[in-house]
Amino acid sequence: MSANYGAGSRPDARAGIGLRAPHVGELLATRPAVPWLEVHPENYMMGGATLASLETARRDYPVSFHAVGLSLGSAGKIDRRHLERLKTLADRIEPCLVSEHLSWSTSGGAYLNHLLPLPYTDETLAVVASHIHEVQESLGQSILIENPSSYLRFRHSTVPEPEFLAELARQTGCRLLCDVNNIYVTGWNLGLDPSAYLDALPTGTVGEIHLAGHARNDADGQTILIDDHGSRVSPPVWTLYREALQRFGPVPTLIEWDTDIPELPVLLAEARTADGLLEAARARDGHARAA
Amino acid sequence: MACSRRPELEMVMLALHDLQRLFKDGLLADDEETLLAHVAGDGLDPQARLAIYRHHVLTTLTTTLESAFPVVCRLVDKRFFAYSADAFIRQHPPAGPCLVEYGALFPEFLERFPPCQGHPYLPDTARLEWAVHQAAHVAEVRPLDRARFDTIPLDDLPGLRFSMDPTLSYVSSRWPVEKIWRAHQEGAEPAEVLDLSAGGTCLEVRGVGDGVSVRVLDLAAYALRHALAVGVMLEEAAGKAVAVDPAFDLIGAIQQLLQDQIFTDFTLST
Repeated sequence: MSANYGAGSRPDARAGIGLRAPHVGELLATRPAVPWLEVHPENYMMGGATLASLETARRDYPVSFHAVGLSLGSAGKIDRRHLERLKTLADRIEPCLVSEHLSWSTSGGAYLNHLLPLPYTDETLAVVASHIHEVQESLGQSILIENPSSYLRFRHSTVPEPEFLAELARQTGCRLLCDVNNIYVTGWNLGLDPSAYLDALPTGTVGEIHLAGHARNDADGQTILIDDHGSRVSPPVWTLYREALQRFGPVPTLIEWDTDIPELPVLLAEARTADGLLEAARARDGHARAA
Repeated sequence: MACSRRPELEMVMLALHDLQRLFKDGLLADDEETLLAHVAGDGLDPQARLAIYRHHVLTTLTTTLESAFPVVCRLVDKRFFAYSADAFIRQHPPAGPCLVEYGALFPEFLERFPPCQGHPYLPDTARLEWAVHQAAHVAEVRPLDRARFDTIPLDDLPGLRFSMDPTLSYVSSRWPVEKIWRAHQEGAEPAEVLDLSAGGTCLEVRGVGDGVSVRVLDLAAYALRHALAVGVMLEEAAGKAVAVDPAFDLIGAIQQLLQDQIFTDFTLST
């Protein structure tokens, strides 16, 4: 049975940016017109000046938490100490959204600092669903689960990833964070059709979209796409984003940039591009409702 | 898949647990043969697919260590640092996702790492950098109210134990690590040749506002403050300072500690 949690104040269906350390000073000094911000809560758990800057930003912007450390797919127990730190921070910042990944990072007490791939089996579904329940109960709000970028798949996976996500949402009441760049990267690397992937996601459950750049690397003479968040959103990912908006309607969208971080205006310009497409989707939605 | 009740875990834990243990060993120990049998190739060698993950884990954690130990990185050059970091990460991966807390064991690792034996001052330089890193990131705590201290009866003073500002660390070395550290800050003027035999140093590292202060202490003040920081009673800590310097001015030293607002709390030993 899926629990019902208060939705919190969800951000408008407009395009925000991931706030990273090099931009904090400029953002606080110039207060650019960006509708919402997203941060990795793990970067603020020590408190101190870093947290103080986030609290200052929070006064002017809705802030979403994009967690990377809960390791929802790890067999065994969730790290309660980490979950409590997340809860303490959430009580202080009151994030408009909280999201995590369909992945694992911790095994045998070692945190491997990567969103590692899962076999999509009944066992994994039970593990991840149980951990999502636990996180949602602790935070008192539903979370969003993001599709990861993958570079391999396991032979014993029995369920396609979008169906696995749909089932998680059905069992736990979580919503989905559709990372359009990740769908493109995974599709390329594993030979899947990104449009078919989008079509397999249930429309009502997508509560956020992520966009980012990726790199093209050579692996054994083959091109592999690396989800490095290190460049502008690529043209095929913009195309796929348009398809996503057609399917899901206007959804809060976020631009992520984590390596070779550009000047803040470059990031804001990417968000404005996404905002233009969201505006068109809103107009379409309005027409459809009026008709 | 149609089950909607809360999943039961006990029956099914083993397989995923084993897969993740194999994956971890594949990433950190290059012990990957068993794991690779479970990985689909899809037109690319499974080994090359796993290597993408390994590369990401090792390079991002190396970057984390570089940002905590920038002076060590400059002292040994970036390639040697990456080589040392690679070995460290494989032996001591992070215990949790807050990576600003990762690297506490790196100084000890450098001490034992054979390729670093030609740089005996390196572990202590790394200890100083870790202290600076901590001071910059640990949240400050409100200092002890002086009026509260003044209410303590004189007879109780010897039995006091103090809690100290959590940004504090004490670092001592037989190498001139403070000079080494200052000379290798980003943008520092090229230093005159450092005399490694110039003797050791005793340092107090502390977060101050948005910055970090690194102060050289004399031996007796270091003995007192370091002892108090590790929870030793005032009487015993004072004894350590006097053992170093029989003319040590204890009253003046305590007044200085209060003026520095180093204490956050105290308890009375009975």
